[in-house]
Amino acid sequence: MIPFLHEFAGRVRSLFLKRRSDREIAEELEFHQSLMREKLIGQGVPQSAAEREVRRTFGNPNRWQERLRELWQFRALENFRRDVSFSIRLLKKSPGFTAIALLTLALGVGANTAVFSLVNGLLLRPLPVPHSEELVVLGMDHGGPRISNSFPAPFFRALESKHDLFSGVFACSSRDGFLVREKSGAENVPGILVSGDYFSTLQIPAELGRYLTPQDDRPGGNPGGLAVVISDSYWNNRFNRAPDVIGQKLQIANTPFTVVGVMPKRFIGADPTQRPEIFVPLSTEPIIDAPENMIAAGYHGWWLATMARLQPGATLDSVNAALKTMSLPILHETVPDANWIANQEKQHFHFVAEPGSRGFTFIRFVFQKPLMALFGMCGGILLLACMNLASLLMARSAARERELATRLAMGATRKRLIQQLLIESLLVASLGTLIGLLLAPIVSQSLAAALTSGNGRNIFIDTSIDLRVLAFAAVSACIAAFLIGLVPALQATSRNLSDRIKDGQHATQLHERRRVFPRVLLASQVGLALLLVVSAGLLATSLFRLYLSDAGFDPKGVVNIGLEAGKQPLDGDPLMRVYQQFAESISHQPGVRNVSLASIVPLTHYIWDDSFRRPGAESRGLNMNAVGPDYFQTMRIALFEGREFQWSDTRTAGLKIILNRSAAKLFFPNQSALGQTLLSDDKKNTYEVVGVVADAKYEDLRTAAPVAGYIPITQFNQKKPSLSVVVRLDGPAIPLASAARSLAAQLAPEIPAPVMTSMDRVVDDSISSERVMAILSLFFAGCALLVTGIGLYGTLAYSTARRTSEIGIRMALGAQRARVVALIFRENATVALAGCAVGLFAAIFSSRVLASFLYETSPRDPVVLLGSVAALAAIASAASLLPAIRAARIEPISAIRCE
Amino acid sequence: MFREENIEPGDLIQGTLEMLVLKALARGPLHGYAVAEWIHQTSQQLLKVEEGALYPALHRLELRGLLDAKWGASENNRRAKFYQLTAEGKKKLNAESQRWARLSAAVAFVMQAS
Repeated sequence: MIPFLHEFAGRVRSLFLKRRSDREIAEELEFHQSLMREKLIGQGVPQSAAEREVRRTFGNPNRWQERLRELWQFRALENFRRDVSFSIRLLKKSPGFTAIALLTLALGVGANTAVFSLVNGLLLRPLPVPHSEELVVLGMDHGGPRISNSFPAPFFRALESKHDLFSGVFACSSRDGFLVREKSGAENVPGILVSGDYFSTLQIPAELGRYLTPQDDRPGGNPGGLAVVISDSYWNNRFNRAPDVIGQKLQIANTPFTVVGVMPKRFIGADPTQRPEIFVPLSTEPIIDAPENMIAAGYHGWWLATMARLQPGATLDSVNAALKTMSLPILHETVPDANWIANQEKQHFHFVAEPGSRGFTFIRFVFQKPLMALFGMCGGILLLACMNLASLLMARSAARERELATRLAMGATRKRLIQQLLIESLLVASLGTLIGLLLAPIVSQSLAAALTSGNGRNIFIDTSIDLRVLAFAAVSACIAAFLIGLVPALQATSRNLSDRIKDGQHATQLHERRRVFPRVLLASQVGLALLLVVSAGLLATSLFRLYLSDAGFDPKGVVNIGLEAGKQPLDGDPLMRVYQQFAESISHQPGVRNVSLASIVPLTHYIWDDSFRRPGAESRGLNMNAVGPDYFQTMRIALFEGREFQWSDTRTAGLKIILNRSAAKLFFPNQSALGQTLLSDDKKNTYEVVGVVADAKYEDLRTAAPVAGYIPITQFNQKKPSLSVVVRLDGPAIPLASAARSLAAQLAPEIPAPVMTSMDRVVDDSISSERVMAILSLFFAGCALLVTGIGLYGTLAYSTARRTSEIGIRMALGAQRARVVALIFRENATVALAGCAVGLFAAIFSSRVLASFLYETSPRDPVVLLGSVAALAAIASAASLLPAIRAARIEPISAIRCE
Repeated sequence: MFREENIEPGDLIQGTLEMLVLKALARGPLHGYAVAEWIHQTSQQLLKVEEGALYPALHRLELRGLLDAKWGASENNRRAKFYQLTAEGKKKLNAESQRWARLSAAVAFVMQAS
């Protein structure tokens, strides 16, 4: 054991002292030689004869060096070094192949790593808190298909008090913006409402001051007033890292809060996709959300994400069992409505705990599927790249047969040859991976931005490269290297040695059998490419149809100006007068055609529904909106009957409603809806139908136009409503933005600066993930086509080159050039056809997976399927034609002569 | 492995050279040339160690920790690499000499049998 260790240490040392040990070996030999020379001269041998004798004894000094140095080297390492330098030489010799190999691999690995870092950021990375594995996400099982994760406050408060089950339970609810009043005006700061044990359960101490405790999470706050904790970045940006920030006041939602602590930078809370700047106690929700109040909504308000930390040693199973037994008692304790409880009991309502080390975010439900689909496509591209390189290498190693045979004959073992060939592919794979890794962060960031842009919230996906991403890249590089290298290496070295030296240029058809495997490989490549092209075609068609789909209104030239009125003192008619003045002033701006108001801008994923019924009939749900005068003209929604709303439709003028055509048909089939009355389901109010308009899409572009009703904005009974001004413009929108800002500041200084968005942008955003998916899949499909084309071309070019003499003989025997073209062409045509058949089968088989991403497009859309096959056929023909034409140009005489 | 004058080459048993080198160094540090000389002299000029085998053997023994190498001044004041037995090397030499004694005795018995 000791000698072995000593040997190892000696070799490691000489690894670093290579120069020195080389010099020492030379010096030692030089010393020996000089003593020998002196001795010979001392014996009377003449100088020149002595010199000759020394040289005869020692021979080539370089060989000495080599022999001694070998002793001090790691054999495997040295072989590896040699293989690497040999491989580099070989790769340099064929720059075309190397460039293609690197490019396709960089693409494959880069795309995979980019998507993986998104998957990692969103789905895999644990929260940066101590013992994140102890965290659980709480949910409610209503007997439905999915567990609900939005808790009403009473349920959470009941769970919070069960101290024996968890070491801590907390709930939180983030907001896009807390209205923070600064000297310069109001500002929206991303914030979060957190319960008392939020920080203590996440176990991260404040970097300055203290964190919030249950004492702070009480109505009215702790005895010192309302407390707030801020993030490190807010401390930096707002307070310039002033140490006396503790004790300062922040005006949040017009209420003074005292800063009691600053959280360290690494603290991101329990939602990995949010970066809250301000943490306020949960009990201040009525202040923050005013005029709404979720706490007061009791068990009707479902709004809290709830998590807990397990007691040390507790398991998920034991906790779930305990939660199940306490579920009904909690319902009875917190819900006053016996019917509601009975209904829940029927559905076996119970609380559940799920693993929560990665925190909780609703975004996961939205992005999991598209991300996984992307991941699948990227995997397909990487597999394709590997298969392509494998077939190219196989063709190339066939051309290298003689070289390999010679090396075998010179005494190289098969293992060493395979090792060298594998190192060649490993080299290509790792270089490709490196390039891919360099590109990955840029790609993943733009992907994250593109995916999240349409969701209107501050979503943050941390795509930074961590160990997991690096490990993923390394593993994919290794797998790629193996896939690329192993099969060609095994094949290239498998044949009998003498056979191979014998047939130089092959006029024989001896290895027809051997070419089955490369053909299978090529065919599956074609099949995989077809699968990618088909899915890209389907997604693109679906996106195209989405764009062409009639939204029911004309988004071109419409902008929305969002006004935030929740935190200012006006309400009711005075507020409505401000809106009216604002809208009228906007209408006088240059380029403005029409102006109106709406409580909900269509396609922004907001839904408000309400139930109405015809007197004496059952009630029906309608998607509702409150809109101002001229709304339908502004949006270019056709008015079939009746009139638009007017400012004179006040609360006292009798309640009015406008129905869309579907709603009118639903309530009043076979008769005119105009002038009819509808009853609201809950408040027994009576509405008069004053108009019928065309159907228009509501929630998003994918969802078909629903049955909908509109009420006048002047009869909208929400408290302090925040409305959007919709404007149809003739000219550019930019001057209007500044005009809107100054108008708002002038008319209602309490309202924060309005935000302007164009309706085109809203449409784009509402289908952003579809767009990203379609663009990426088209890109991947393009790559797949290119890669497949290169593979088909490369393989055929090599194999044709090897058949030069055979073709020469055929032509000498009278074969027509056209027949030669057909002969070569047929080789790829069969492969491409077989591949297409397999690919089509796979595409049809896997259509169910894609179906959920498609809009009004069948996953077996014949046009797309045929088009994809045509695209592949075209690529395959183009790739086959060139070698075939080249073969037809072969001069029989010269071809035969070179045998 | 090494040339033996008047003895048929290839007759010596593997590992013998290493044993001889260790033995040569038993009396104190020597440089490579001196090791070869000592073996040549002590064997009554019967054994001549070939340089091509000597140096790999010395380096192999050094690598295995049986020898220690130090650079020092030779008798005529030139820089030379001196080899010296380590504790491991001494142990190895003892074991090898015993093995050799048993082996040569055994061979002698066989060869003397009538």
